[in-house]
Amino acid sequence: MQRLFIQLFFIGFLMISCHKSTDEVKIKEDVLKSDLIESYIEKSKDKTTSIEERREYLDKAYTIYSTLVNNSFKIEKLLEISNEYLNVKDYNKYKSLSEKALKLSNVIQDSVNIAKSYFYLGAYHRTTAELDSTIKNFYNADKVYLSLDNKKYEPKDYAFDHGDVLLSLAQILRKIKDYSESESKTIAAIEKFEIVKNDNYLRLCYINLGIVCKHLERYEEAIGYYLKAIEIAKGTDIEIEQKVISYNNIGTTYKSQKKYDKAKEYFNKALSHNEYLKIDPRRRALLLDNLAYVNFLSKDMTNIPNLFYKALHIRDSIQHKYGLATSALHLGEYYQSIGKDSIAIGYAQQSRDLALEIHDNEDLLQAYQLLAKVSDYKTGLGYANKYITLNDSLIKEERLFRDKFARIKYETDEFKEQSIQVSKENQILIIAILGLTAMFLLGYIIFRQQQSNKELQFAQTQQESNEEIYRLLLNQQIKLEEGRQLEQQRMSEELHDGVLGRLFGVRLSLDGINQRANDEFTPSRNKYIEELKAIEKEIRLISHDLGSDTLPSDVAYMDAVETLIKDLCGIHKLNYEFSNDEKIDWEEIPDNKKVNFFRILQESMQNIFKHAQAENIKINFDYEDSNINLTILDDGIGFKSTKVKKGIGLKNITSRVSQMSGVVQFLSNQGAGTTVSVSVPV
Amino acid sequence: MKKKLKVLMIDDHPMIIEGYKNTLLGENQKEYQIKIDIASNCDDAYETIVKSSETVPYDMLFIDIKLPPSSDGTITSGEDLAKHAKELLPKSKIIILTMHREDHRIHNILKNINPSGFLIKSDLTSAELLLAFNNIVKGKAYYSATVNDHFRKMMTNKFSLDEKNLKILYHLSRGVKTKNLPNYVSLSLSAIEKRKNQIKEMFSIAKADDQMLLEEARKRGFI
Repeated sequence: MQRLFIQLFFIGFLMISCHKSTDEVKIKEDVLKSDLIESYIEKSKDKTTSIEERREYLDKAYTIYSTLVNNSFKIEKLLEISNEYLNVKDYNKYKSLSEKALKLSNVIQDSVNIAKSYFYLGAYHRTTAELDSTIKNFYNADKVYLSLDNKKYEPKDYAFDHGDVLLSLAQILRKIKDYSESESKTIAAIEKFEIVKNDNYLRLCYINLGIVCKHLERYEEAIGYYLKAIEIAKGTDIEIEQKVISYNNIGTTYKSQKKYDKAKEYFNKALSHNEYLKIDPRRRALLLDNLAYVNFLSKDMTNIPNLFYKALHIRDSIQHKYGLATSALHLGEYYQSIGKDSIAIGYAQQSRDLALEIHDNEDLLQAYQLLAKVSDYKTGLGYANKYITLNDSLIKEERLFRDKFARIKYETDEFKEQSIQVSKENQILIIAILGLTAMFLLGYIIFRQQQSNKELQFAQTQQESNEEIYRLLLNQQIKLEEGRQLEQQRMSEELHDGVLGRLFGVRLSLDGINQRANDEFTPSRNKYIEELKAIEKEIRLISHDLGSDTLPSDVAYMDAVETLIKDLCGIHKLNYEFSNDEKIDWEEIPDNKKVNFFRILQESMQNIFKHAQAENIKINFDYEDSNINLTILDDGIGFKSTKVKKGIGLKNITSRVSQMSGVVQFLSNQGAGTTVSVSVPV
Repeated sequence: MKKKLKVLMIDDHPMIIEGYKNTLLGENQKEYQIKIDIASNCDDAYETIVKSSETVPYDMLFIDIKLPPSSDGTITSGEDLAKHAKELLPKSKIIILTMHREDHRIHNILKNINPSGFLIKSDLTSAELLLAFNNIVKGKAYYSATVNDHFRKMMTNKFSLDEKNLKILYHLSRGVKTKNLPNYVSLSLSAIEKRKNQIKEMFSIAKADDQMLLEEARKRGFI
């Protein structure tokens, strides 16, 4: 037994150690694989190689990746590969890998990677201009990051990614003109970027904030933000670029405030950075056009329309259609202002065509407005109608989009809440089920307990009432006996003193008379007188018998016992011997002991009748050393005292004897009869 | 001239007195002129005895043992009455006539009263009564056969049991428990136990139980 156990233990130990070594091998393998993947990713990042080659590297990395074990590390690698696909503009791969990353992260409950995956998916939809999907994914990412804030993760670990999500979201929101929401997201993004001290992204945040504030007509604030962006960029290599951008933005802000002089000042300030503008003609054109338009608006016609043309030429040279549309529109406005409507129509139509081409609705709208002004009445009316239709549809679209966005936001909230709700509901359900089960069990246990208590109580009361009945019976018997005794006593006395006396008197008289009258009948009369004497004697004996009966109460119990034995043995046709030690004063023995003896006797006799197949029973009550010994002996088949488990009968006897603090013995052997001996102290 | 005799018969059964009269006043008896007074209870009897002690005392008293007791409760039986009579009428002959034939009663009566006549009613015939009467008048004592038997037994036992011992045996024989005996015999329980053991020793059955004691006592005629 012990050896077997040791062997088993040894085998178990071997198995565990084997398992360990295979695990180690696996880990080594994984390290090798991830190194390979990283090297492929590195190679794919090399922008000097062709895009096709880079894609091939990524594909290789991805094939190796798929053999990795599921864990956070694997997902990180997947996202890295995915990101590189974005860089090589393979959007489909980017999307499918991001989706895969999301699925895997969900499987292993890796929240950081779930959020990242959502962000990637949002970025994908941004490239395809599906704004609602973009927002939806960004929002999901934001939610997941927010849920992390109370958890074990270090805030620094994901602060940048979260900030990135928030800023991207803010930019999209600004585009759909939900400025206040955009502002709050930008501020949240700033908080995140402050944690990781990323100046470049902070700068972008402030620019976004500035634009939002301008649209919300909080111009002073907007200008403050633009200046802050410059401050952040100070000392870096993009300081100049930032200055140009910020000054342009400040200029347009002043333009919106109709502070044209200030606007001109800032546009000029921006234009002073010639060195930088040489490499960024688009921005130069923008600045020139903006300056020209401000001049035009402030009726300062010194460089007009030259400045417009300058911008137009630059834009034309770099084929910046968006800019061209604006330039044409501005020129159209200019010519309309100096009354040259035919030229104005030409520019306006040009602007309209360009705007239609590039879906620039804002310019298109203004183009229609201008065309309505400069065309003749009939065509003008048509343009006016088009303007109104487009404006309406734009407003409608905007409203629709806002509704849609609101729904998206609500849905993500709801989705979150629902999952919480569901998990809460599940929890409640589980608790409820557990509670119900527990209650049911408890109830069942209580029910069973009560049931058995009731049974016990019932048995107890039955026992009590049994004994009460027996006691009453015994008392009744004693009373009866007493009555009988009294009656006997009375009859005895009556016979002795009354009847016997008178009979004696009569006999004596007769005798006396007989003595006197001596005739032939004297002898026969004498004979009858003798007979009378005999009768007297008989009566006296009867009287004596009646009067000298034993005292009642002692006898009543033994009578009951003997009657029991006699009746039972009579029914079962057994011979019995019964003896009672006269030294036992049954009158003084408490009722409960008498009852117990009676029941023990009954029980034992039942056993004998049922099992023993006996012919003779001997029952003795003996008195010895203040103990009452009851012996019940039979000549039946007996039993092996070791073999028979105690039935209810023997148990009852034992419990009754122990109740009276006595001793009981069951002596038996097969074929040698059974002796039950009970010894109880008085 | 017939000799005059004054007799008091005390019995609560008029029938019995009738029987006595029929015997004594019959033709068999012509020697004496007998004047018979009757009392049927202790009160009447006592009164009559007292009266006669002051006037003409009775020559002879027939006394039954079982009598209705006196109203003041001082005289409860013929035995008591006989004691008084012996004091009041010392010359009177006392004849006890009783139904009781138990040894201890006989023993007691003999001891306490020592009557001139002791007749057990159940043995009695009119001839015997007459015989007893005649004997007693002539100054001889007369006892019934049963009483004589008692005497004989006492003699053969070579020892006698006193009244208390006899009472103990008597009550035991009636089935009274030893521990209840103090209610019947004016002795403590330990005294009774002691006496029982003495009796057993006398019977030379020292280790016997009550049943055997009673059997032996019956055999020896103490019960």
